[in-house]
Amino acid sequence: MTPLLEARGVTKVYGGGLFQRDRTVALDNLSLRIEAAPPTIIAVVGESGSGKTTLARLLLGLTVPTSGAILYQGTDLRRLSRREWRRFRRDVQAIFQDPYEVYNPFYKVDHVLLTPLKKFGLVHSDREARERIVEALEAVGLRPDETLGRYPHQLSGGQRQRVMVARALLIRPRLIIADEPVSMVDASLRATILESLRALTRDFGVSLVYITHDLITAYQISDNVVVLYRGAVAEAGHVEPVVQEPQHPYTRLLIGSIPLPDPERVWSEEQEPSEIGRLADAAQGCRFANRCPYAMEMCLGTSPPLYQTEQYRVVACYLYRENPVLVSEHLDDAFAPPSTVGPAVAAGGAVDEPLSGE
Amino acid sequence: MTAVSVSLERRQSRIGRVVGGLRAYPMLVAGLALIGLVLLVSAVGPLFVPREGVEVGSAPPDQRPSREYLLGTDTVGRQILAIIVYGTPLTLQIGLIAGAIGLGIGMLFGFVAGYYGGTVDHLFRGAADVFLTVPGLLILVVIATTFKGAVSVMTQALVVSALAWMYPTRTIRSQVLSMRERGYVQLAKLSGMSGPEIIVKELIPNLLPYLAASFVSAVSAAILASIGLEALGLGPQNEPTLGMTIYWSLYYTSVLRNLWWWWSPPIVMIVIIFVGLFLISAGLDQVANPRLRRAV
Amino acid sequence: MNDVSPRLGQPRAAEITRQDEEAGVMLQVRDLRVSYLTSRGAVQAVNGVSFTLRRGEALGLVGESGSGKSTIALALMRLIKPPGVIEGGQVFLDGRDILALPDEEMRRLRLAEIALITQGAMNSLNPVMRIRDQIIDAWREHGEVVERGEAEERVRDLLRWVGLRPEVARMYPHELSGGMKQRAVIAIAISLRPKVIIADEPTSALDVVVQRQIMQTLRRIQRDLGAAVILIGHDMGLMAQFVDRLGVMYAGKLVEVSPIREIFREPLHPYGELLIASLPSLARKAEFQGIPGLPPSLLDPPPGCPFHPRCPHVMERCRVEVPVLELKRPHRWVACHLYQVEEGSA
Repeated sequence: MTPLLEARGVTKVYGGGLFQRDRTVALDNLSLRIEAAPPTIIAVVGESGSGKTTLARLLLGLTVPTSGAILYQGTDLRRLSRREWRRFRRDVQAIFQDPYEVYNPFYKVDHVLLTPLKKFGLVHSDREARERIVEALEAVGLRPDETLGRYPHQLSGGQRQRVMVARALLIRPRLIIADEPVSMVDASLRATILESLRALTRDFGVSLVYITHDLITAYQISDNVVVLYRGAVAEAGHVEPVVQEPQHPYTRLLIGSIPLPDPERVWSEEQEPSEIGRLADAAQGCRFANRCPYAMEMCLGTSPPLYQTEQYRVVACYLYRENPVLVSEHLDDAFAPPSTVGPAVAAGGAVDEPLSGE
Repeated sequence: MTAVSVSLERRQSRIGRVVGGLRAYPMLVAGLALIGLVLLVSAVGPLFVPREGVEVGSAPPDQRPSREYLLGTDTVGRQILAIIVYGTPLTLQIGLIAGAIGLGIGMLFGFVAGYYGGTVDHLFRGAADVFLTVPGLLILVVIATTFKGAVSVMTQALVVSALAWMYPTRTIRSQVLSMRERGYVQLAKLSGMSGPEIIVKELIPNLLPYLAASFVSAVSAAILASIGLEALGLGPQNEPTLGMTIYWSLYYTSVLRNLWWWWSPPIVMIVIIFVGLFLISAGLDQVANPRLRRAV
Repeated sequence: MNDVSPRLGQPRAAEITRQDEEAGVMLQVRDLRVSYLTSRGAVQAVNGVSFTLRRGEALGLVGESGSGKSTIALALMRLIKPPGVIEGGQVFLDGRDILALPDEEMRRLRLAEIALITQGAMNSLNPVMRIRDQIIDAWREHGEVVERGEAEERVRDLLRWVGLRPEVARMYPHELSGGMKQRAVIAIAISLRPKVIIADEPTSALDVVVQRQIMQTLRRIQRDLGAAVILIGHDMGLMAQFVDRLGVMYAGKLVEVSPIREIFREPLHPYGELLIASLPSLARKAEFQGIPGLPPSLLDPPPGCPFHPRCPHVMERCRVEVPVLELKRPHRWVACHLYQVEEGSA
């Protein structure tokens, strides 16, 4: 079954002409396959500089990889014919972070809803267009008479973002890349928007790549998660074990830093990097070494591969080197099938430190 | 964020909106008034002032302003009032045509270079840069002198337009560069719009005040260039444009002979035109950039 | 997985009673009113807010955008500019009503006694000045005469205090990362050892990991200075980790002020209750719960209680009568008709 969208050994490097110093590796050798069916939600979690936005742009074809390729239905994006490209655009849509920027202030909000309908030939008359737009707006909880005919500045951020979800509904893509869809929306409206995204998957069979820095919503909404750190995968797999019992030191740091809304449970103290870790050079070896309390000699050499510690989990950390390496390098090989209930089967643990329950 | 969520509803009556809008842009209004005045003179003048006045020998020479000859006459017997009335629109014409050509080329080069980048960008931008560094008047003089014999208003406009496209190209390009990464452009791509569609439907509408301001600047520069050429004698010799009038007044040493009524009206007219155009341009800047607006 | 150890150095809820009498009241806000004059009328951004802040205490102000919390920060610093205007109320800083002070006096108080840290250090740091020059500038503005050599040393100490390397002194803001910039902002804010620090969403632009570090630094500094902190934000998790008491803002009013543990254990005001219920958890998967309805228009607020259109416990009384923020339980202030003043609360 050809995956709908695939990132194959994708690397993106910025800068680095004559001067080596300017070179930033935004994403390093990432491979991921996204199937069209059954619909699934994958979360990509990372802080700024992790490469998550770069991944979004690559998957959407808004930028080209430095090496590796993005494949749509098995064909490299750069080699798609015009008709295939149009189909790609129809199948893969996006919801962006900034609900202010995505609207052209010159046009009413109807513009963003009508344009794709027309361009993708989804309707045959104005009346049909209007019907479908009204249907989509109501499905996301908006009142058409209060939304249509308005200019973007007349709507709140939450309303604008919901219009974006309605737009996605109209197009009925097979995959939506949502890049921080609720980070710029008021807290009380986030729930509605996230629920409508989940409904898209559940009721309309649309798969979702949910990109965020917010681990909590990522945990709530997704089946599987990919944790990125400075362009490389730290940990990936079924969201339940990754979040409840993180194995990669970075994932542990991330989860430990989340301010839980519970005054009884406080932030854990951040651990200092190990002696060896302090010597680490960011350019080679494990990227997290210079902050890692468990850094060892081997971490300074080459970057660790993805060790499969459980059926549904991979960790890029030498602490787990006793485990088998994920040969295919495709992250999705460690993903649990969607709506898998219950913890994954544990197949291996850490070598040097007992990492759980300290 | 302390953003107060007050929804701005459009005012009901359109006239109310226009008047309200105008109040916020005093410079624009003032500029339009001045240019309006100039256009009025050009439009209404011919109804009251006979055209023969611009002919040589239509009146006694060197007459001071009197009730018969309101602005006096020049050394070869032309009536200054008629010259102003019939010459001003010619100068404006040159400016408008050259400005339009300049903006047209500027838009083509600027949008394509800014949106597509790469080699095409290097090509258009490079061309603009090269032409910008060459002294403009020099180019114009060289072009103008190759057109020996009587130059028409249209030709003059074409000559001047050779210099009118570089600045619009550069400024439009830089505007496009900053707009290219905007969210709505990315979204338009995802909606299946092609490059030219995006330029026309998404970018240009947002740039309208900016393009208008560019046009006004181009017109202004064109008029200046043409007056400069004409004052040197390189212009439509048989037409009573403002620049040619200045040329002839210098030719016949009107300043030394204190024929003030000859050289001052064209200068006054030129000043009014430039000030008017400048105010319009500044006013359009305010429209394009809300931060410059006076708080309503 | 997470540490369950109690927060270090912070008094528990029970101890606050004793602190009432011992620690002095640092800031007392009475009936503060701020409005913005727009072309469509006056918008009541802050509508009669009153609260006290004790020495060494951390008070949180949580609410959505438009609730007025950031406006309070600006009002306390007297940085409200037209079309905003402070319409009424009093703000007693260590006994003095700062709203009544002449501008000169207020300028001297700013930074020296009360300081503001905002989100987006871009707004606070001068991009063309080195960090050390900005700090020295702040000192000079407040009449502190500093010798060249001494200044360098004091700057280095200050930077070390906020967790920055001494080399940062020579750097320009653009050379620093987001977290470092925010630390620099904190350094400037505390350079004159103020008594009250207002932090308005100081970490909203930062990563979760950096956020934790900054907040821990802020807490340490607060303890060292003995200063009172007002933390303004919308992240309930951050509030739970940092503050002693929490004030919930809605439509320009304070609807509840309670000790942090008690408000999470049993939120009294329905808005607070819904807010806490809507927080997604890391413990188990559940459906996302929002708060139905939309935030009210501040231009034309609903009569009676501003929350009544969205309140699941709304009564007839709520539609007509504005509830007053009262001490309904020991240490708990609520503005809601559901609650009567209990015995032994006053």
